[in-house]
Parts: sequence; C-alpha cells; structure tokens
Amino acid sequence: MFRPVKLTRVTIQIPEDYISAVMAILGDLRLLHLIRVEETPLGRMGYVAHVNTSLLARYDVLLVRINSLLEDLQVSGPTPVIGKTPRPDKAIFRLEEECTAVEKESLEVLEQRKNLRSTLFEHQSLIARLRLLEPVGVELDRLYRLRYTTFHAGLIPEENLERLETSLGEIHHTLIPIDRKEGRVVLLAMALKEDNAVLLRALKSAFWDPLELSTELQGNVTTILERLTGEEQQIEDDLAELEKKCKDLAHQYGGKLRQLREELLISRQLILAQEKFGQIDHTYLLTGWLPVSLFEELRQRVMKASSDNALVEQIVPEEVKEVRSGILTIPILFNNPALIRPFERLTTLYGTPSYEEVEPTGFLAITFLLLFGMMFGDVGHGGVLCALGYLIFKKMYRYLDYGIILMECGLSAIVFGILYGSVFGLEDLIPALWMHPMENIAYFMKISVVIGITMISTGLILNLVNILHQHRYGELLSASGLAGALFYWLITALAIRYFLIGPPTALEIMFAKTAGGLLFALMILQRPIRQLLARRSRTKKARFSVPGIGVTFLESLVEVLDELLRYLANTASFVRIAAFALAHAGLFMAVFTLADMVQRAQGSGFFYWLTLVLGNVVIIGLEGLVVSIQTVRLEYYEFFSKFFQGGGKPFQPLFEEKESGPNSLKS
Amino acid sequence: MLLAAARYGYPNAKVRALRSRKLTEQDRHFLLDAKDLTSCLSYLATTSYSPFLPDPEKGIPELSALERQLARPLLDHYAKVVHSLRGAKERELILALFRRFEAENLKIVLRALFAGFSRDAVSHLLYPVGHLSDLDWDTLWACKSIGELLEHLRPDIFGRSLQHALPQFEAQGRLFPLEMALDFSCFRLLRQAVSALGKRYDRTVTEKIFTSYIDILNILWVIRLKIDYGLPPEEIVNYTLPEGNEITLDCLNRLSRVKDIAEFINQLPPVFRHELSGIRDWGKIGPALETYFLKILARIFSGQPFHIGVGVAYLLEKEIELGGLITVLQAKAKNLTVEEIGNRLPRQFSEIGHVQAG
Repeated sequence: MFRPVKLTRVTIQIPEDYISAVMAILGDLRLLHLIRVEETPLGRMGYVAHVNTSLLARYDVLLVRINSLLEDLQVSGPTPVIGKTPRPDKAIFRLEEECTAVEKESLEVLEQRKNLRSTLFEHQSLIARLRLLEPVGVELDRLYRLRYTTFHAGLIPEENLERLETSLGEIHHTLIPIDRKEGRVVLLAMALKEDNAVLLRALKSAFWDPLELSTELQGNVTTILERLTGEEQQIEDDLAELEKKCKDLAHQYGGKLRQLREELLISRQLILAQEKFGQIDHTYLLTGWLPVSLFEELRQRVMKASSDNALVEQIVPEEVKEVRSGILTIPILFNNPALIRPFERLTTLYGTPSYEEVEPTGFLAITFLLLFGMMFGDVGHGGVLCALGYLIFKKMYRYLDYGIILMECGLSAIVFGILYGSVFGLEDLIPALWMHPMENIAYFMKISVVIGITMISTGLILNLVNILHQHRYGELLSASGLAGALFYWLITALAIRYFLIGPPTALEIMFAKTAGGLLFALMILQRPIRQLLARRSRTKKARFSVPGIGVTFLESLVEVLDELLRYLANTASFVRIAAFALAHAGLFMAVFTLADMVQRAQGSGFFYWLTLVLGNVVIIGLEGLVVSIQTVRLEYYEFFSKFFQGGGKPFQPLFEEKESGPNSLKS
Repeated sequence: MLLAAARYGYPNAKVRALRSRKLTEQDRHFLLDAKDLTSCLSYLATTSYSPFLPDPEKGIPELSALERQLARPLLDHYAKVVHSLRGAKERELILALFRRFEAENLKIVLRALFAGFSRDAVSHLLYPVGHLSDLDWDTLWACKSIGELLEHLRPDIFGRSLQHALPQFEAQGRLFPLEMALDFSCFRLLRQAVSALGKRYDRTVTEKIFTSYIDILNILWVIRLKIDYGLPPEEIVNYTLPEGNEITLDCLNRLSRVKDIAEFINQLPPVFRHELSGIRDWGKIGPALETYFLKILARIFSGQPFHIGVGVAYLLEKEIELGGLITVLQAKAKNLTVEEIGNRLPRQFSEIGHVQAG
C-alpha cells in the first residue's frame, strides 16, 4: 500500500506475422504502459512502425455505423466487459458482419420512424402557424382566390408597425393586426396586386417573418385546424407503434451493439497503439512498463502465440540506461485498497509521486479521516454526509470517488460524534465516550499538538526512508534530514517532559544543550564543508579558503533557522484541529440560542425547529467546507511538505487513454 | 439642488477633468497642417492619444487597426464615467450608450461567421471594449453558426431583436437585417435607460440629447440608404429610428421620396433647414449636422451642472472628436489638401476648435 506496484521494463521483438496476436495479448493484460519507440535510440534511428491506416479506416466507418444504431435505437447501459481481446485484423470481419445483420433488421423501421417524425413536425408547425390566424377565422381559399388583391400573413416586431404603416402611405393597403406574441404582432397585410412588390419590400424591411401557408388549404382556418389535428393524432398513433418496434429492437440488439462497440473500441485502440511500436524490416519492437507479477504470463503467452519466434526481455528498472541518465521516468502505478483509492485524487492534486519515493496515499487517507472526524465530530452530521456520499456514489458515476470520500468522512464524523456524545449538536442524547470538546478546551489543544507532533514525525521518518531509498545521503545532515529530525525530536521530548513530568533535571538540560548545539552546528556547517571538500577534490589543492564560502555559510544559517522555525510553526498549526472542533460546537450553541430567540419572538415551536434545521444545514454546508479545506491544508503544508517531492509520471495502461477521432463522435 | 450636487459632484468633476484632455485648437491646427500621415501621427504622439499609438519604429499600422486603437481612450473614459456614478440607473444609461460599441463588435463577429473568418483575422477591427462589456465574447466567438450565436445573447440586450430579424436574414441571405436589428436594439436600450432615470431633470436633459442624436442619425441614414445604397422609399422609412425630436415619421417618409438635395433640405424642419441652408453637396450634410449636434452638447455644459447629461454629452463629444481624428488620418493617408479635409470635418473641429466648458 505504501509503495507503488513494482514494475519491470519489458521489450518484445516479434515477427510481423504475429503482431496482431501479440496485440490481442497486450489487450488482455491491459496493464502495459507502452513507451514510444520513437523516443528511444532505436526510434531516433528511424525504426518506427506505422499505424495500419486502411484497417483503422474500416474500424472508423464501422464505429460510425454502430454509434448511429445505438443513438437511433436509444440504447444505453453499462459498458460490457470484454473477456478476451480480439485480434484487430481478424475481428473486423466478424464485427462488420454482425453490424450488418443488426442493420438489416433495424434500418427500415428506423427510416420509417424518421420519415413519420418529419411529417409530424411539418404538421405541427403548420398547425402552430394556423393557430396564429385563428382569432380572425378567415377562409384561406377565398383569400387566395382574390382577383385584384394580394395578401400576406406573418409577424413583425411591435415597434415596427407604425413605421410599416407610414412606409406604405403611397399605396392602397390595409394592415390587420390579429394577435400579439412575444413582442411581435401577427399581421395580415393586404394591398392591390399591382403594388405587391412595394408591399413585399416594405414588409421585408420591417423584419417580416412570413407564415408560410399552403395554397391547398381549403376552407375556414378553424375547420382546417380541426382536420389537421385529426391527422396529427393519426400520425402520432402510427409513430407510437413504430417507437414500440424500435424499443423492441433496442431490447433485442442493445446488448449486442454495446458489446460490438466495446470490442471495436479496444481493437481500434490497439491499432492506434501501433504508432508507439518500432519496426525493423519485418520485425516489430515493443517496449514498455509492466507489473513484475505479470511478466511471466506475458512471456509465456507471447512465446506460445508466436510459436517461440519472439524475443521477450525483462530489465530491472534501475538498470535501464535511460532511467539512470534521467531521460526516462519510471511511471507509477498506485497500489491501494478500494477504500483508500479515491484519495489518490488528493495525492495527485499535490503531485504525482515518483517511483522511488514512498507512495503517501495510505497515510493521507488515514490522517485525513482522523483530522476531519475530530473537527467535524457529530453523529447526525456524519450521517448526513454519509447519506450524501451514498447518493453521489449511486447516482453520479463521474463523481464516484468523491462519493466514497464523503461516505468515509461521514463515518469518521460519526465515530468522533460518539466519542464526543454529540447528535445534531444535542449533547445529552448519548453519553460522550471520550469528552465534550467545549468542556475540555485545554486538553483538546494538547491532543491536537500531540497529533501534530506525530504527523510531522511520521513525515520526517518517511523523508529519511526516501533519502535512503534514493541514495541522497548528503541530505541526512541537513535541517530537513536526519539531523533536523533529531533536533525536532529533542526539543519535542523536552517539551513533553516538561508538561507531563515537570521541569527537566540539570543533567537532562546539559545533554539537550550539547546534543542540540552539535546538531545545530552540523546542520549549518554541513553545506559549506561539503562545498569545500568538493572544490578541494576538484582542484587537488590543500586550500581552506574558497571564494564564496562565507555566502554559503550565511545561506546555510538562514536556511537552518527557517527550517527549524517552520517545524515549530507546523506543530502549532495543528492547534486548528481543536479550534475548528470548538467552532463546530460553538456554531451549535449559536443555532440553539437563535432558535430560542425565534421561539420567544414567534411563540411557536415550528419556527424553533425550522431554525434548528436551517442552522444544521448551514453548519453542514459551511463547516463541512471549511473543515475539508483545513484538513487538506494540514495534509499538504504540514505533512506532505516534509517528505513528498513528486515529479513522477502516472502509469498509462493501454486502454485508459482519452478517446479521440470517431470514438468521440457519439460515445 | 444640494442632493443633486452630492450625487453628481464627483462625476461632474471627473468628466470636466477628462474633457480637459480633449484635442485643442492648437492640436487641430498642427494635425491638419501635417505634411503627411507620418508627421500627423508624430504630432498626435504629443497629445493625450500618445499612449495609444503604436511604436513608431514598427512603421505605420493599417488604418483600420489604428482606428480601433485610438478608440481606447474613449472606451476607457466610458469606464471612468460609469465608475464615477453612484446610481445604478445612471450607470445603466452610460452602459446603454456603450452598448453601441458592443454592437459594432457583434457585427464583426457576425461578419466573420458569415464569411468564415477566424477571430485572429478580424481582431484588429474590434473595439477594445474591455471589462465594461458583460458579454461572454469567448463563447460568442466559439459559436459555429449565426443561429448558435443568437442563442447565447441575452434576450433583453441584443438577443430578442436579432431573433426577430433572423427570418429576414435567412430569406435575404445577407447580414443587413441583423446589423440593422443591432442598431435598433441599441437605441431601444437607450430609450429604456432614459425612461428609467429617477430624476425628471435627468430625463429631460438626456431625452433632449438623444432625440437630437436620433434626428441627426435618421437624416444621415436616409441619405446613406437613398444615395449610397439606392433603396426604395418604402424600405428606407422602415430602417429609421423612432422617437426623434424634430423629425417625425411623416417627415422621414417625405425625405425618402425627394428628388434632389434642395428638396431634401426644404422638407426638413426649420431648425435643420437653417443649419443646412446653402449646402449643395450631400457629403457636406454630415459635418454640418455634427457641428449642430456639438453645439447642443456644448450647451449641456453651461447652466446647472449636476445631472447625468454632463457625462453623456462628454462621451458623445469625445466620440465625435475620435470620428474627426480618424477622418483626418484617412485624409492624410490619401494626401488630401487642408481645405478638402476641412470640408469633411464638423466646424467645431475644423474651425472653431475646442468648445470651452461653460
């Protein structure tokens, strides 16, 4: 849990004939972080493979067809799990055949539905247009039959009506406003047929929106509307029947289509992965990072698939030349249990851990929940958070991780609520198994500082582990290394001795002074001395005065003082745990006082409870946010800053890359 | 009066301080007298426009780009006037006036969408509207079609007017209806903002300014649509602004049907007839009307000073100054004579120079 998954660098050389089979195996294993051969010495020499574009094009066309079917049939549901990854060059034939079979059954029905929908839309828009003319109840065919007069029906903005009237002053005309609709006037404009051009120009400049009516419409508007409404009903009935057929088709072929689409996406991804391969004549070269535990399985399967014609090599990461020279970074594959995994988001928000350092998510999760629970301890509020988290967990798949974090925080708050004996701020419902924060302020503050000392000490120990692991032995004597840690523990031990037992003895003081002085001197002098030795070894001269040594000494002094002061400040910063727990309890008191005041003023129990409910909602929202921010702050600034360097690269398994191209069309 | 002084004391002082930075009689003289565009710009570098001029070592920029750069002080002054005002309704009025520049930028967006140009290709034509504009320009520029762009505009600002013009845009296949709708929308907003003002005096002063402004714009639009575009009368009337001061709809209808300039001037109300008497060239009507409008604006600065009209008048005055300056630069680029340039400028700019504060 505290280390990433152990990886190995794997290189596969495979004849061209077997590349598809190997790609299928890689698809099955999933956990391979491919390295672009182009970025390796071989790739730079030009041995780069190319994507099979004709095959990719076939997949793209097929993807569009399947997506279109899925969309038209309105198929949705979870992504199916593909057991065995298909060979992309073979699979396309089967996928095309199966897609064609579904199309044969569905396309005709879908086409009929599309046409009927279009007819219905035309009908509905004609009805909507005619409804605008309903108030005058004109007979349209009579208007169309007029010999000397022309007419136009449409809408214009209200403010343009007066100008339109003025602009038509020179011709015989009549403008009949029928109705008003969203800032526009429904208008019937009439003029002599010989003035039709003038009328049309005037209407056009008045932002005329014509109601396109068919000359085939016979009779009174109301009668036409009745007829059209009847027809509309018939179309709707036919459409409903077709919709049912489509639903049946979706039920029948939905699962199959989703399966086809998923297989297609995997195959397509595998083809695209080819651009990361290398190629020398008819031999392909693949290289990447793989969990050590999967190597043997990969080797055996590749050898079997290639009839022992492949070469599968494993290299320990530390021995990879590019890694040692710093050109290549080993990716990090997190290895945390399900309940801790969501916290990886918080870790990566700070930085991606490097392969060589301690993976801090486990520590983060444990301390995060501890700190949050202490600051937000209440059974009721914890329960609400839990319920909210569960709701997110169940309903919002995209925010699944946050749902889990929220549930865990809620549980932690419940545990501390039981320890504090607090249920929605009521402290007399259940007994406090530990203490009531408001009654033990000084004690709570001491506990907070102890938690701070423990977390900072853990951070310092993790830093020592990182230093040893990464062979940065020079840093052991620095203020952030072993010397600094010892100095911190020395001061901490003295403080604990003073508060728990009493003032230290003369011998203890003497020891602390000597040890502290030595450590302090060591921390300050280690850098100038190392600089001195480095220069001496370079120049081979026994000189003890090196230019710039004074500045280095001064810098070292300032750095040490800064670092030690930061230890003190970081420890004191943990007092905020008590402060925010007290603020939480204090807010309850404020809400209860307010509720009492409201009850006295309004004389009703309803307002008392309303104030309590609203107050609790505000506390959960506001205090929940503040406590989360404070917890993250303590984690990042007080804890992570002691050991976490980051700068790592996330592991990118074969099928987690962002979809692009036709995949994203209707996915 | 005391309340008005408390309300408008600061804006009034601010506006008068800004007004003191306007181009002076001396500036006008040297700008007109400059032998070419380069020396004109060299002189302009000694005025309040200096910070907004491009680096002379990089050569003379395109005039269209330069025009937009020179608009920066005007738009900065809009922001300053808005920030100096305490009342929300007064600020809304200045913002309504400012929306004309937003509308101009929207026209550029529409044209770019229509012609398939990218934002970068036309960015030099945009007014630097800055933070005063509350339109989400990034979203508007990201739109793929005019219909989509209209969906993103608030109905009460430009959206509704543009939606109403959309059917004609689709029918005619040109942007003209949408551009006219934007102009109408600006003046509708101005009318609403004036009506919403709380103080009657504020309303009276601003109504006087804006109705006169509408009169002038209507005359100029009728000339442009009739002479430049050759539109028939029944269309011209529909493309004019309602609610002018002296010029009624009937008058506009008559103006759109005249045969020559003499008849045109004869059909105008007496006050305009007087201002335009003796003019025989359509091109000289614009500067003469601007001169007339500048006189109206100058009168706002005399008398009772504590009202919103001071800010409005200054910003319109500054806009005319900018228009004049651009005319001078364009004329210098074409090597026109001082007399030819003078004919294209309002008299305040070409002859009487800076109008002193009353």
